[in-house]
Amino acid sequence: MFNLIRKDIMLQKTTLMTMLPLLILLLTLERSFIYIGLLFSMAIIMNAFASDEKSSINTLLNSLPYTRKEIVSSKYIGALFFVLTIVLTIFTGNLIINREITMWKELGLIICLVMIFISFMFPFSYKFKSQYLLTAVIVSFVIYLLIVNLFINNLNDKIRELVGILLTLQSSQLYLLIAFSVIALYVCSWLLSIRIYSKKVF
Amino acid sequence: MENVIELQHVQKSFDGFQLKDLSLSVKKGFVTGFIGGNGVGKSTTIKLIMNLLQPESGTVSIFGLNYKEHEKEIKQRIGFVFDENVFYENLTLAEMKKIIKPSYKNWDDNLFAQFVKTFELPLNKKIKSFSKGMMMKASLTIALSHHAELIIMDEPTSGLDPIFRRELLDILHNLMQDGEKTIFFSTHITTDLDRIADYITFIHKGEHMFTKEFYKIEEEFAIVKGGIELLDRDTEQEFVSIRKSNHGFEALTANKGRIENIFGEMVLVEKPTLEDIMFYTKKGAEQYV
Amino acid sequence: MQILISNNSKEPIYEQIYAQIKKHILTNEIQAGHSLPSMRQLAKELDISVITTKRAYEELEKNGFIYSVVGKGSFVSEQNNEMIKERKMKVIEEQLITAIQNSKEIGITLTELKELLTLLYREET
Repeated sequence: MFNLIRKDIMLQKTTLMTMLPLLILLLTLERSFIYIGLLFSMAIIMNAFASDEKSSINTLLNSLPYTRKEIVSSKYIGALFFVLTIVLTIFTGNLIINREITMWKELGLIICLVMIFISFMFPFSYKFKSQYLLTAVIVSFVIYLLIVNLFINNLNDKIRELVGILLTLQSSQLYLLIAFSVIALYVCSWLLSIRIYSKKVF
Repeated sequence: MENVIELQHVQKSFDGFQLKDLSLSVKKGFVTGFIGGNGVGKSTTIKLIMNLLQPESGTVSIFGLNYKEHEKEIKQRIGFVFDENVFYENLTLAEMKKIIKPSYKNWDDNLFAQFVKTFELPLNKKIKSFSKGMMMKASLTIALSHHAELIIMDEPTSGLDPIFRRELLDILHNLMQDGEKTIFFSTHITTDLDRIADYITFIHKGEHMFTKEFYKIEEEFAIVKGGIELLDRDTEQEFVSIRKSNHGFEALTANKGRIENIFGEMVLVEKPTLEDIMFYTKKGAEQYV
Repeated sequence: MQILISNNSKEPIYEQIYAQIKKHILTNEIQAGHSLPSMRQLAKELDISVITTKRAYEELEKNGFIYSVVGKGSFVSEQNNEMIKERKMKVIEEQLITAIQNSKEIGITLTELKELLTLLYREET
């Protein structure tokens, strides 16, 4: 199965080569790297996912001696690898360029957010194909904007506030709880995806 | 003689199509040609054999093992050759090998190098630049480089020139020398099977019509040609189906001996091609609907 | 050992192989104890399916012309050749006697019979 993860890394080599420098560049300009980290991670992960979606590739993967469970698991573990790469790049970039040490809480937040997003996106994509994902994301975004403009003002500020509060929370118990819930969510999503993919017909 | 592939009473429904109570087996050490028109269940059967689909009822066993418990073990021993490109287009053959090699316990780099050389395949060009013939050769190379015992070929020669098809048959002849490998060859180009197939499995409308030794087909089936006046209610029953014209009739019989007894010298009896058998069987099925 | 297969002949390929190998054995072209190519090798060389050569070899073995040793291959049998030749000669004698009797009945001379025999013999090759 690790071979499958290696395959994803190999396939994303060029994408990574362009993205990582870009990421470092952005770090010099913009400080809110949580958004950037989130965006870049999702981009790479979903790109890796999409490159396996052609029916011919599914035929190939299923003809190799791997179970469907392994194929799905390689995506979930691979995703963690990608987000860790991005996070590491941000940390090193920040260290070198801005000469500051990024708070582990900020890095942790990126990882948690990515895991939460993936927990929804992967099962959806296994069931409905990731091209529909784009539509779903756009639709959700439009709804979000509508809600924002109609009901809540200054949502962006409010979010910034919330994030700030989260980052300054002292209770390590709370952090543990959040981490644990996110991991639990991830695992549930993993199991759901295995179920969906195992039943798939090619 | 063991059966490498065995389907027993398999049932699978699809939108508008059904495989009903399908049982067939493929013997070890021989080339089994798989024929049938489009939409009759050929690709469904192959997908069942590859576990891309699961049967609703019935069993699929490969090497005597079932997929539920032995999926990886079975796939280690099978090589697949497809008619479409199943590789990552933007990778080179060398990179594909890097991905595929660690998946197989019995991967043999020497064999791989040997085939790449024989087939004259470029290792460092992107796969999307490969011609159809090259893709098939690449697929075959990978299928053979891990000492697969069972090779499943799904329309491997469609779109390839006749010269290359002959060369492929030579390669397959070489593979069959040690008697340990089994080839399951699904194709429309039935003339390819004339030179290499030991058994023919014919599927029609989701039903397994027959699996016979190639020479038995000539013994039992025949094309019969004669004058229209020879046909009546009773004699028409002897045939799978009949083509009538102003100049006489042409028909397929599944019982050559009987026809020779009934008509003797009055008709022309000829060897049927696999296409004849497919054509007349389809015609026969349509008549009795 | 020469084997020529006609794809257009009415005779099934395995029968052609059987007949030709049998002839080689009976005319002592392949000696007793000599090994035959494996059925797979022969199939490859003749560009036909293995099952065809297998069938031909099975017929040869059934009729005592060859025998197989597992792991070693197929070999030409010893004893039977002479017996078969003898038997065949008997059959030929009987057939010739019948032909001669029939000829005498309708007044065919020995010369005419010989001519006919020569003509037919040449045709059969």
